[in-house]
Amino acid sequence: MKVLLDIINTVRENKGFAAVSLLEESHDLRSDLGFDSLDLAELTVRIEKETGVDVFADSFVFTVGDILKKIAK
Amino acid sequence: MASDLFYVSSQDTQYTYQDLLRLLACTDRIKKFCYAHSTYEVFTSIILSLIHNTEITLLDSDFSELELTNMGVVTSALNDTTDVKPIFYSDLSDLLHAIRSAGKWQIHLFTSGTTGIPKKIKHNLASISRSVRIAEKHKQSTWGFAYNPTHMAGIQVFFQALLNGNSIIDIFKLDRSTVFSRIEKYKITNISATPTYYRMLLPMDKTYQSIQRITSGGERFDPDLIEALQQGFPKAHFRNIYASTEAGAILESKSDVFIITDPALCKIEAGTLWIHKSVVGGFQLSGDWYDTGDLVSVLDSEPTHFRFVSRANEMINVGGYKVNPLEVESAINHHHGVIQSRVYGKQNRILGNVLIADVVTSEPISEKELRNHLSGLLQPHKIPRLINFVDEIITTRTGKVQRI
Repeated sequence: MKVLLDIINTVRENKGFAAVSLLEESHDLRSDLGFDSLDLAELTVRIEKETGVDVFADSFVFTVGDILKKIAK
Repeated sequence: MASDLFYVSSQDTQYTYQDLLRLLACTDRIKKFCYAHSTYEVFTSIILSLIHNTEITLLDSDFSELELTNMGVVTSALNDTTDVKPIFYSDLSDLLHAIRSAGKWQIHLFTSGTTGIPKKIKHNLASISRSVRIAEKHKQSTWGFAYNPTHMAGIQVFFQALLNGNSIIDIFKLDRSTVFSRIEKYKITNISATPTYYRMLLPMDKTYQSIQRITSGGERFDPDLIEALQQGFPKAHFRNIYASTEAGAILESKSDVFIITDPALCKIEAGTLWIHKSVVGGFQLSGDWYDTGDLVSVLDSEPTHFRFVSRANEMINVGGYKVNPLEVESAINHHHGVIQSRVYGKQNRILGNVLIADVVTSEPISEKELRNHLSGLLQPHKIPRLINFVDEIITTRTGKVQRI
């Protein structure tokens, strides 16, 4: 979760948004974290760089919980 | 005509066709360049240039000064105007008649050129509205507008809607819940957008019965995506368009397989799709055919069935926007601490490709600092979303950067 929080905050700060201190599994990447398609793409390459997992490889992910499930596999 | 509503902006401001006619009747000065943030201003600038039979050049509102200079646009001329006599039209059909007779009108657009400098494409009314269908059955359509209004796809939707007197509802750059509430509120019947746009609408939690047609273009339209969209738009017919700034819409299909039905219009040679000069907008062509640079794989012949694979040249398709890596590298190298850079696309399920840069520096630079530097020079979709700082960049034997 800590790794994911850091990555999400990097993407948020890159687009001029404030960092978030807490992530919840139910957080929607678009409506709660404010990510557009370019940000989601950035999120996937940063997660892949850190964990080796392409979270969007076989399906669309919508929430923080969806990403955690993919990384845990 | 279904209603008098002409356009609803992203902030939900409504403009009627009556508002449009009033604006035309009191405008006595028009601009040569359209460099506007507001989609309504882009639309009205196009209409004003049409009724006054003059040229107009469309520029993306987020082009930086560097980008404009590279395109050969003199920034001091951006606000140049021409005095005109206001024209009063009694009704919409009067206006549409005037638009259809704009014989000398020309529109200039820019598209990412393969050499690093964007190239200018000229179109007249006949060439830009070649794929527009005017018919009684289209008069009831309401369009969801999901493209940049200064780009070819957006202009095509605009003309299709305007020439049929339809309402245009802005749904570009809005969050998905707002898009869905607009589909319901305005009973949108047609949407034309990129696959990236449609992917951002998923998941479809509800069904929207008003949607009759979903058109996609700019990237590969995956069968999985069509299937997911069908859940939410059960009454929609799906259509996949292959279009370019040079020629507008060329081919259409119901899936990701295209068929060449008119061999006089396009052909496949040396693995890429070629378009005949008769449908290409005004720019220098060396022969009768124009190479689109899009690599295809042929599935069947007579008639030719094919699927798009990737690009033969170095352009990278980022969510439907073609990005030239040379232009991005040049902006990165502009930073005083950068020695060399390499920009490439990495396949990505959301955007098609995401831009990555490998950079060699002479001093420590943070990724954030380099991104800030780029945000003043390039449009957002041209900025690499991941920057790797590396010790060296592999070049080919001729000294060119290898892009894999």
